[in-house]
Amino acid sequence: MDRREGLARDITLEGVAKIFGTQGRLVEAVAPTDLVLKAGTTTALVGPSGCGKSTLLRLIAGLDLPTEGRITIGAETPAEMRGRAGLAVAFQDPALLPWRTVAGNVALGRSLARMPRDAAAVAELIRLVGLEGFEDRRPAELSGGMRQRAAIARALAGLPELLLLDEPFGAVDELTRDRLNAELPPLWEARGATAVLVTHSISEAVRLSDRILVMTPRPARIAADITVTLPRGEARDPASEAFRKTCAQVLAALREHQLPDSIAAQ
Amino acid sequence: MPAAPLFGRRLTRGLWVLLILLCWEGLARLSASAFVIAAPSQILHYSATHADLLWRAFLTTLWAAARGFFWGNLAGVTLALVAVLLPRSERLLSTLALLVFCLPLVATGPILRVLYGPGDGPQVTLAALAVYYTTFLPVLVGLRAVPQGWRDLVRSYGRGGLTLLREVRLPAALPYAVAGLQIAAPAAFLGAMVGEFTGAERGLGVLTVRAMRALDLPATWSIAVIAAGASVAAFSTIGALGRRLDLAPPEVLLAAPVARARNRWEGPAHAALATLAVLMLWQGTMDAFGLPPFFAKRPGDVWDYLVTDAAARARLWDALAETLSMAVPGYLCGLAAGAGLAMLLVLAPRLSAATLPLAIALRSVPIVATAPLIVWALGRGGAGTVTVVAMMIFFPTLVACRHGLARTPRAVLDVFAVYAASPLRRLLGAQLAAMLPAFFASARMAIPAAILAVTTAEWLATGRGIGALMATVASTSDYNMLWSAITLIGLAAVLAHALVFALERWVLARTNPEQLIR
Repeated sequence: MDRREGLARDITLEGVAKIFGTQGRLVEAVAPTDLVLKAGTTTALVGPSGCGKSTLLRLIAGLDLPTEGRITIGAETPAEMRGRAGLAVAFQDPALLPWRTVAGNVALGRSLARMPRDAAAVAELIRLVGLEGFEDRRPAELSGGMRQRAAIARALAGLPELLLLDEPFGAVDELTRDRLNAELPPLWEARGATAVLVTHSISEAVRLSDRILVMTPRPARIAADITVTLPRGEARDPASEAFRKTCAQVLAALREHQLPDSIAAQ
Repeated sequence: MPAAPLFGRRLTRGLWVLLILLCWEGLARLSASAFVIAAPSQILHYSATHADLLWRAFLTTLWAAARGFFWGNLAGVTLALVAVLLPRSERLLSTLALLVFCLPLVATGPILRVLYGPGDGPQVTLAALAVYYTTFLPVLVGLRAVPQGWRDLVRSYGRGGLTLLREVRLPAALPYAVAGLQIAAPAAFLGAMVGEFTGAERGLGVLTVRAMRALDLPATWSIAVIAAGASVAAFSTIGALGRRLDLAPPEVLLAAPVARARNRWEGPAHAALATLAVLMLWQGTMDAFGLPPFFAKRPGDVWDYLVTDAAARARLWDALAETLSMAVPGYLCGLAAGAGLAMLLVLAPRLSAATLPLAIALRSVPIVATAPLIVWALGRGGAGTVTVVAMMIFFPTLVACRHGLARTPRAVLDVFAVYAASPLRRLLGAQLAAMLPAFFASARMAIPAAILAVTTAEWLATGRGIGALMATVASTSDYNMLWSAITLIGLAAVLAHALVFALERWVLARTNPEQLIR
């Protein structure tokens, strides 16, 4: 089934910067950044709202182009990788098509990735995100959290080598979130896929990722680069002392870089 | 109030219909000497005794309308697809489509008659011309009403414009297309009838003209009732088909997103480009088809005629002034009445349940087919024509404004409810802003409708203004004057459109900035 197993490659950012220009005003969203994200790892981007995390994610997906620098995934550009449906994005706004049912929206993730129909695989994904029994519902009948879960199932449906998650569990209730945090990562980790995750939740970042990048307020730059040394999967116990220590480390880094450079310098 | 059982509701509705019929009958009998209203019994009697004639005429008109419906909608959908696939062409295409739609059927009818000769070519063409714009606009809106997130989704899989079209744009446009087709059905019937006014052999339009010349009240009323009935039936059938497809209702009805000018030269530059395109298209098609200069006047001919002939110029100006003095008040009254009633119905929701189905049904009545009746009823002075124009605009505006009011965000309404705000406060504070985009879209669409209504009323009933002028000069083969009148009407329509558009941008920039797209 996993035709793309072990295909993932390193993501390399070389001097990547993004400046938005709107009506004569320039806004620097991402400061020049050099970064290598190892193949098969999960990286979390944390930082204050509006700091440019999502922009960075869009740059990696090639949905926006950097103003400076370049991004390569293995030997490919993001655009080339998208061209062969090698990556998938779970957007902050679920962007489900309102005229398709839940099953139809998840199946779309396969068909957009040019994969043959597979009703069983779709049903399995729907079960995993806990939407069993809602297969034939339209997005308008679902709660915000349910829509996000359907969007995650859609992103996973195409078996991407690179999975980009933009606050995927933002609207999901705490209990479900906890379960998804436990059950979903193995889906891509087992295939050796690379994942980049934007999140506001420190504990979620520590729970899911191998590496946490703490970003400064706009323009985004990497303030701290924290490697999570805890064991992967079920063994990573949120109640453990080591887990809490890592959380505290991330929080400290966030606090230290709360203020924009201009104010902090004074 | 618990929901009445289905049978009970049908009974109530039946009783209402009966009551209305009785009032109608009584009114007609009381005013029999005024010679305005035919009683239902008279209509029934006429229809029964002339069933064969009416049936054959109906089928003729229906057949022409059906073919016009097909070709017009095909053209509308194709134009919308081209505009979306080649975004650079969109503004020019929209302008040209609007301009052609503004050409008064009353004037294009005689020209098409000359072009086609005998047969039903003009009817079919006019029916197509009457529908393509009301399909083009909503389909274009539907195709473009695609949130950035859906585009990103398709792009994130490296898929291009065709996938976006197939998976996102076309399904998103489907409900809009149904709404457009629904409006198109009565319009096609109307177009076919106007085509028949201009010298066809058979059809309901021919019978209308004949009945009016003979001042045959029951006949005129019978035909109007048949035309109205057919239109309502077509309107409801397409609506029911749309519901069978289980489509979500469109987000916006006819409201094309308003583009914000990038700089101050863009508007004038675009206008100049559009003018040039129109002139080239005009001259080009005539030359390409080798149309005889005797009746197919070129832009140069019209210019020469208007520059050299002062008497003709004066005649044309007088007619235009007369027409505008009817069209402008009618247009404003129709808009004000439609928006006003929509707002009133929000304040008095109980009234709304009773009036809305009626308004939706009446929206599909080809008002113009009933224009002679209205002008008869109100006299040949200004009141009749103004009323025809106002009625033509009133129903679509009412429906569009109701639609806009219903789009007030739930959360905003909740905020007003939390503070126990009065319905008036809620209307002014929240719902009015939600209504404005729909109102302005309706105001733009109403311009061609007003021109159609005023010229038809003038032609069929009052014998004054530019509508009558066009009919007269068409019958005397004064084609210089006919083309000059068409040009002037087209110009007036475009100017009115630009005016409404500018006002719309000015108002929406203050009330609904999200409606303005870059």
